[in-house]
Amino acid sequence: MTQQKQKNSAMWKVALVPVGLAAVMTPAIMLAANGTGGMGGGFDEVVRGIEHRYHVHANKIPFMGLISFVAGRATHGGVRGLHVAEIENVQGPIDGEEFNALVEEKAGKGWQRIIRETSRSGDDQNLILVRPEGDHLGMLVVSLDGHEMNVVQLSMNPDQLTDEMAKHRHHREDDGKDTDSKDSSEKNSEEGQ
Amino acid sequence: MKRSAIWAGIVALGIVVSGVAAGSAYGQDSLPTPSPIEKALAARASHVTEVTLDKNMLAFAAKFMKDDSDKEARNMVQNLKGVYVREYDFDKENSYTAEELEGLRKYFQGTDWSSMVHESTKGKAGGSDVFVKIINGRMEGLFVLDAEEKQLSLVLILGPIDVDKIGELGGNFGIPKSVAKKAQKEVGK
Repeated sequence: MTQQKQKNSAMWKVALVPVGLAAVMTPAIMLAANGTGGMGGGFDEVVRGIEHRYHVHANKIPFMGLISFVAGRATHGGVRGLHVAEIENVQGPIDGEEFNALVEEKAGKGWQRIIRETSRSGDDQNLILVRPEGDHLGMLVVSLDGHEMNVVQLSMNPDQLTDEMAKHRHHREDDGKDTDSKDSSEKNSEEGQ
Repeated sequence: MKRSAIWAGIVALGIVVSGVAAGSAYGQDSLPTPSPIEKALAARASHVTEVTLDKNMLAFAAKFMKDDSDKEARNMVQNLKGVYVREYDFDKENSYTAEELEGLRKYFQGTDWSSMVHESTKGKAGGSDVFVKIINGRMEGLFVLDAEEKQLSLVLILGPIDVDKIGELGGNFGIPKSVAKKAQKEVGK
């Protein structure tokens, strides 16, 4: 009887291991497959695509996670999810149409190009793509200037950001008033003397 | 004989339908896809700027205009259906032809759009055009074609437009200030 019980518990254990593994691995695999939180494409895909197509190497900015965290805290969530890659020694000329098609394809679904600036020489290419991310706006900027290319992705909340900007503007205005009143009082005291 | 007549009818119908579709590429409420003329101009230009903002994006962009002084402009932007800007810079003068300009103007003929201003100099391809879309006495669209010696600008704004606020759109959403000013001046007359 006890042997039977032991057998049963052992079988349960054996059965639970793959179930547990599946429970842990499935979200991880899905996240890895989708790249950026289930939306697909985005920054990593674009950088990888550019590296592959133009035989270049992207330098990721160190401590970007920390910088992004600080930016998020400083703007009270106005800006988050900062990603920056710098690519040097891009050998042109770059065909604007092809470059645009590559970035749009690698960015994936949901991203919409709002601005494109391109020069015939191929030295100057700028693309700005956006996508709605709830109350945030995802922004992907790919910019080539001569032999240097920058890829930046961030997510911003316009409401939060404009509130923060307004706060800073008010602070500056208040500071300006303070210095003005200080100046005038100093002037008055000088005149009085 | 009968069969060939039917086929001829189908072909004719196809031509008419595709012609109407092409003619109204800009006339719709949705933003247009670049026409073959624009592609040819882009291939010739030394520098091209393209801005395409749909209704959702404009509603989002309007959130950045929180200043009280911008309230009316913000309301207008919030209700716009689309902004489509193309700016072509050329190395040489006369890099576009009168036929190409006429081709661009043709998109606005035979639809709800009407030509408000047509400015041109005899013997020169350049000039300015302003087309407006009026529905029930309200301006629901504006198209400006501004052809300078080395620069060609196309600005298409879809949606309800406040005539007094057109100028304020200049410098925003890729709309050249000079074009917005020109449109404000002509439409406000």
